[in-house]
Amino acid sequence: MSTDTETRGALGRLRASPFLADLLTNRLAVVGLTIILGMAAIAVYARVTYDLGALASSQLGTEVTDRAPPGWLGPAPATQQLFGTDAAARDIYKRCLYGAWLALKFGTITVGTSTTVGVGMGIIAAYYGDVTDNVIMRTMDVLLAFPPLLLALALVAIFPRDLGLWRAVVALVLVYTPRFARVVRGAALKVLEDEYVDATVALGATDPRILVRHILPNTLAPITVQSTLNFGLAIIDLAALSFLGFGAQAGTPSWGLMLSRGVENGLLTGQWWLSFFPGLFLAITVLGFNLLGDGMRDALDPRMREAVD
Amino acid sequence: MNWTQSLFRLVEPVVPPRFVVKRLLLLVPVLFGVASVVFAILHLAPGDPAIVIAGQRASTEQLEQIRQELGLRRPLWEQYLSFLWDAARFDFGQSYSISRGNSVRSVIADRLPITLELAIYGQAAGILLGIPLGIISAVKQDSLTDHVTRIGALTGISVPIFWSGPLLILLFSTYLDVFPTSGRIDSTLFLPDTWTLFGRELPLTGMITVDTVLLGNTEAFLSAAHHLFLPALVIGVYSTALISRMMRSSMLEVIRQDYIRTARAKGQGAKITLMKHGFRNALIPVVTVIGIQFGTLLGGAVLTETVFGINGMGLTIVTAIGVSDYPVVQGTVLTFALLFTLVNLVVDVTYSYLDPRIQQ
Repeated sequence: MSTDTETRGALGRLRASPFLADLLTNRLAVVGLTIILGMAAIAVYARVTYDLGALASSQLGTEVTDRAPPGWLGPAPATQQLFGTDAAARDIYKRCLYGAWLALKFGTITVGTSTTVGVGMGIIAAYYGDVTDNVIMRTMDVLLAFPPLLLALALVAIFPRDLGLWRAVVALVLVYTPRFARVVRGAALKVLEDEYVDATVALGATDPRILVRHILPNTLAPITVQSTLNFGLAIIDLAALSFLGFGAQAGTPSWGLMLSRGVENGLLTGQWWLSFFPGLFLAITVLGFNLLGDGMRDALDPRMREAVD
Repeated sequence: MNWTQSLFRLVEPVVPPRFVVKRLLLLVPVLFGVASVVFAILHLAPGDPAIVIAGQRASTEQLEQIRQELGLRRPLWEQYLSFLWDAARFDFGQSYSISRGNSVRSVIADRLPITLELAIYGQAAGILLGIPLGIISAVKQDSLTDHVTRIGALTGISVPIFWSGPLLILLFSTYLDVFPTSGRIDSTLFLPDTWTLFGRELPLTGMITVDTVLLGNTEAFLSAAHHLFLPALVIGVYSTALISRMMRSSMLEVIRQDYIRTARAKGQGAKITLMKHGFRNALIPVVTVIGIQFGTLLGGAVLTETVFGINGMGLTIVTAIGVSDYPVVQGTVLTFALLFTLVNLVVDVTYSYLDPRIQQ
C-alpha cells in the first residue's frame, strides 16, 4: 500500500505545484506545448506512414521536377503534392513531415545526452570541489571559449562522412555539455550551502546518495528550463550543420539539407517552395520550444509573477 | 606631470589596471587549452594530409617526402610542441588546397575583415534597436507594445538565418530585383590595394564600406552598402531579438528594486529614475549577454556568408573542412576562438566598469 500512498502524494504535490499551475495559465507556454505535441504527432505519423527509402531516393522519371505547389500560378503547378516537388521530383510535403521525426529524434538525443553528462559533471564538480572541480570546470572553460557553431564544425571534421547526422549529434553534445555543467554547478553550490545537506552527511549518507537524492532534485528546475531552451537551439544547430553539408547525408529528408538544396537550386530560379516549407517547419518547431522554455522560466521565477504597479 | 601620468589618472579610477592584468593572465591557460583542442582535432581527423596535397595519384615516394616535410614523421609530442610554438606566433603554415601556396596567415588577413564587418554591422543594429525595444517592453509590461515586441523577439530568435536569408533573397533579389543576390560589390567596380593620406600610401582595411569611404569613392560605397544590406539585416534581426529579450527581463528585475522605489518616493520623476537608476543597472547583465552571444553571431556570420556567397572567414572554414585543408581549418578556428575570447575580455572589463563590485 505504501506505493499507492506515494503515488497519491506525488499527484497531490503535482496538483498543488504552483509551477505547473503557473505554466498552464501562461498562454504562450501552452501555445508552445501545443506546437511541440503537434509536431511530435506529425513526426510519429510520418515515421509510421512513409518509407524513408522512397523519400530519400530520386523520383526522376515518374514526375516532372521542380513543380510549384497547387494553387500557385507557376509554370507547372503540381496537382498531387501539397508543397510541390524538388529537383529530384520528390514530394516536399512528405519530406517536411518526415523531417519532423528526424529533428525531434536527433534533437532529443543531443539534448538528452548533453543534459545528462553536463548535470553529472556539474554536480560532481560542485560536490567534490578542489582539484576535481578545477579539472572539470577548466576543461569546460576551454570548450566554452569557442564560438558554438565553429567548435561543432571543427569537431564534425573528425568523424567519417557516412555517420551522417550522428556526427553532428556528437559534435553538438560536446558543445552543449559545458553550458549544462556550468548552470548545474552553480545551482548545486547553492544547494550545498543548505543545512539539510550537512545533516545528511552527519547521518552517514554515502556520496552517491547525497548527490542523487538530495542535490540533484534541487537543481532540476534550472536544468529543465535550460534543456527546453536548448532544445530549440539544438534543432537549429543540427539543421545548420546539415545545411552547411556536415550533417545528414545526401537525400535524407532533413530540414537543414532541404534548405541547402533550396539555396542551391531555387534562389536564382525563384523556386521558393524548395526553401519556404522546410524552413517554416523548422522555425515553428523552434518557436514551440522557445515559447515553452520562456513560460517555464517565468513560472519558476516568483518575481515574474506579479506585474509591476 | 607628463602626459603619460595624466593619461593614467584618466584611466585609473575607471578600471584598475590590476584587474585587467589579472584577466589577461587568466586568458593564457584558456588559450593554451584552445590550441590543444585544435591540435587534437587535426590529429584525430581522418585522411592523410600528404594525399590532400599531392592528390590520389601521387607516388609513395612523393607522399613520403611530403610527410617528412610536414614533420608528420616526428614523435607526436614534438609535433604538439612545435604546433603550440607556431600557434603562439600565429603561423599555421601554408594552405593545402583552397588557397594553395599562400600562407594561412594571409588567407585570414584577407578574409577576417569581411566577416568582422558583417558581424559589427549586425551587432550594432542589435544593440541600437534591441536595447530601446527591451526598455519600452519592460516599462510598458503587459501592454500591446510589450506583447508585440516579445512575440516579435521570440520569432526573431526562432527563425534560422539560413531560412530568413534565402527568403529575403527570393523576395528582394529574385522577384523584386532591388538587391543583389550575392557578392560584396558591383563586379564592374575596381578597388585599389592602397589609399593615400597626406601623400603616404597606406594599406586598406579590407572592410569594404570603410575602404570605399577612405578612397572617397561614393559610387563604390553605395554599391558595397547595397550588397551588405540584406546580409547585415539577417544578422541584425537575430541580434536585436536576442538583446531586446535580455534587456526586457533585466529591466523588469531592476525596476522592482527598493532603490527605484526610494528614488521615486523622494520625488524624482519617473523618466529620470528609469534612466539614471534603472538603465545603468539593467545594462550590466545585458553586457554579458552581448559578449556571450557574439559567439552565436560569429556562427551566424558563417551561415550568412554561405547563403549570400560572401567569401569571408565563414565560407572559408566551410570550404576548408570540405576539402580537408587542415592548416586553414586550424588557423580559422583558432582565430575565431581568439576573437571570441577577446570580446569577452572587453565585456568583462566593461562589466567591472559598470559594476565595480566585480573587481574584488
